Amino acid sequence: MSAYLARRALSGAIVILAVAAVTFGLLRLVPGGPFTSEKDLPPQVLENLNARYGLDDPLPVQLGRVLIGVPTLDFGNSMKFRERSVREVLAQVGPVSLHLGLQAFAIALVLGLGVGFVSAWRRAERGRAGTGDQALQALVTVGIALPSFVVGGILIYLFAFQWPVLPPARWEGPLHTILPSLTLAAAPAAYIARLSRSSLLDTLSEPFVRTARAKGLTELAVVVRHAIPGALYTVITVLGPLLAALVTGSFIVELIFGIPGMGRFFVTSVTDRDYTVILGITVLYTAVIVGANLIVDLLYALVDPRVRVGEQGGESA
Amino acid sequence: MPQQTDHAGASRARLRALLALTLLLLAACHDRRERGIVIANLSTEPPNLDWSRATDHVSFNVISNLMVGLTEFGEGGAITPMVAESWRIEDEGRRYVFTLREDARWSDGRPVTAADFVYSWQRILDPATGSEYAYLMYVLRNARAINEGKLPVESLGVSAPDARTLVAELEAPSAFFLSLTTFEITFPLRRDVVEKHGAAWTEPGKLISNGPYVLTRWDHESVMEFGANPHYFGPAAPTPRARLLMIPEKTTAMTLYDRGELDVMDNHSLDPLDIPQYENDPRFERVPQLRGYYYGINVSRPPFDDVRVRRAFAHAIDRSIFPKILRGSEWPTSSWIPKGMFAFNEDIGLKFDPDKARALLAEAGYPGGKGFPTVTAMFNTAEHHALIAQALQAQWRENLGVEVSIANMEWKVFLDKLQNDPPQMFRMGWGADYPDPDNFMNLFTSYSGNNKGRWKNARYDALVEQAARELDPQKRRDMYDELQRILLEDDAAIIPLFNVTENTIAQPWAEGFHLSAMARLPLYRVRLIEEKMP
Repeated sequence: MSAYLARRALSGAIVILAVAAVTFGLLRLVPGGPFTSEKDLPPQVLENLNARYGLDDPLPVQLGRVLIGVPTLDFGNSMKFRERSVREVLAQVGPVSLHLGLQAFAIALVLGLGVGFVSAWRRAERGRAGTGDQALQALVTVGIALPSFVVGGILIYLFAFQWPVLPPARWEGPLHTILPSLTLAAAPAAYIARLSRSSLLDTLSEPFVRTARAKGLTELAVVVRHAIPGALYTVITVLGPLLAALVTGSFIVELIFGIPGMGRFFVTSVTDRDYTVILGITVLYTAVIVGANLIVDLLYALVDPRVRVGEQGGESA
Repeated sequence: MPQQTDHAGASRARLRALLALTLLLLAACHDRRERGIVIANLSTEPPNLDWSRATDHVSFNVISNLMVGLTEFGEGGAITPMVAESWRIEDEGRRYVFTLREDARWSDGRPVTAADFVYSWQRILDPATGSEYAYLMYVLRNARAINEGKLPVESLGVSAPDARTLVAELEAPSAFFLSLTTFEITFPLRRDVVEKHGAAWTEPGKLISNGPYVLTRWDHESVMEFGANPHYFGPAAPTPRARLLMIPEKTTAMTLYDRGELDVMDNHSLDPLDIPQYENDPRFERVPQLRGYYYGINVSRPPFDDVRVRRAFAHAIDRSIFPKILRGSEWPTSSWIPKGMFAFNEDIGLKFDPDKARALLAEAGYPGGKGFPTVTAMFNTAEHHALIAQALQAQWRENLGVEVSIANMEWKVFLDKLQNDPPQMFRMGWGADYPDPDNFMNLFTSYSGNNKGRWKNARYDALVEQAARELDPQKRRDMYDELQRILLEDDAAIIPLFNVTENTIAQPWAEGFHLSAMARLPLYRVRLIEEKMP
């Protein structure tokens, strides 16, 4: 197990360094730089700025500095927010996106699994799709199809204007987190619901479920103890990337609700060619994806006893 | 069965009661409006509150509420005293001697001294500071050499013979030097504060200011708050606290305004699509800005290397269309020095005259637009730039019979393109850094990096220098008239379209809010009428 973890950590570190190096290269290829502005700067002023931010060093030196900074996310100061280091910026925006993302993830998981499993169970009990099941399916389809700015707009209209019980924007306290979390969770919840429903329906027709029923177990025990763990395996597969996507910030949701998170910051940093911040967020994003995928792999072992991590080949059935 | 129905009904009733209770609790928890504080939207995080390094209007909007300088840009464009109670000009305009107010204090009670200005001006020119606006201070003696690292900062032409006397020595007489002292980059700085806190000196509790407000809170990317500065020498802010939110999305900001959670809105928060909805409101205001919008022309590439073609294009534009399509109150103009600035002259420039336009194009060899090559007008990606380009394209087609293709690019890619390979035509704008025509006319000198159209005129270059040094207002005005005629009529190097206007609106309970022509947000003038608040 520990050897497996070490191997995964090493490969993860290589991936993160490679992503940092490629991002550094791409940033230098994109036209326009951090100090390109409407007001053209005299050469001397530009030289002073480049010297201040180390952009006058040879590219290999700059790349070396970036790679050394990867483990500690130390990429120097932001080139737009000049008095703030990248670490300070990430420490400011990261926890906001993490909070919002985890809250949305929890909502998506509870709603998605709840709707998916209940829908599948009712479908299996009846042997055909009932009205309630069809309505849930329709809701799931709408949830997947509607873009987050529409969902957000509807929620703001309902809960900030029609029944003004929730704040429509900003990030000031627990109440302010409700609408953006629901907006962010809508599509993933719908996706998880669809996936868990089909997965549970498939599992319910497996021979081991029939065996469990034949043993005289109650239907609830069959579903909860035997079918659902099997169905979760498929759902877990998507949770890693989903968690990574949610906790690293959503540009649209953060923009609509005026949330000071990482997604909004990342997009504006690209527009501003804020090299250091772009690198910082990209490295953090990569680390989250690598970490989330590792957690998912470990979860497989918990859910499905046939999976063993740490054996030859990393994992085997 | 009836029992089951009763049971289900009771459950539903309990569920409804629980839902209603939850909604009530949520509503009670949600405090919609705090009293005694003026709230505005800043739109984004200010990139820098260090006024030696700040470059953008968002940062300057914050700084202008916290700090005052030697002078300020007053009503009608006048330069009025602030920390400097008086000044005299000596040595034929090469030396300015300012006398500072005795009662000017920093927020910690210490007097504002001439040494604070000396430190500030030396710091902005120190190459290690990396200030983008250092070049504006090149009017001071030795400034350029200091910024190039050739001389020590102590050799700068600024000194403080005593605490209340500041002497500025210039490289050459400069008529716009006083207007420079209205600009935030020239404001005084506390050496002890900067050296003690390093880069963190702009954080709340560390930043010492000398203006109406002090910075009391800064949750980055989210909210910023000011409190009254008890040592400010000017009139105290009618509302002792101010809050700036950082909501970039206009629709979201409008939602907060409609709910009464924002007191004032400026152009950066007010969506142009919403303007018709608010323009009949008594608190809606249109404020002309010292900012111009123009189309540049690359005069080195055919067919625009022929001045007749350039003039034809300028004459073919009916500028009255812009306020209609942009839904603001843009002020159409064919002249370049903006309205509200010294030497503004609306009679200059090539006016809408389609007959003359067609005649000029025919004279250039393209009668009725026949044989005119394909040309491209380029702009950076934004809805309003696209609308303007489409309107121009239609007018050139209708009035000249020529087909102009339009193309857009991402902002930094567009700027890179202008720098390295300027297209035949391109949109551009300019806002005043300091309220003087020099700031608008020196853009198009042959040595200016902002002159993207590659136009050169030796007479123009010489006259720009001369006008900057001329201290007689009438002579100076005449020089700017001549400069504008060379630029816009004789050589038609650029085509001005309109002056930008800021649209603002304030709640019925927020009085005294008026944006300045330099787009500054003076929250320290807003008075909240509590009785009118919801």
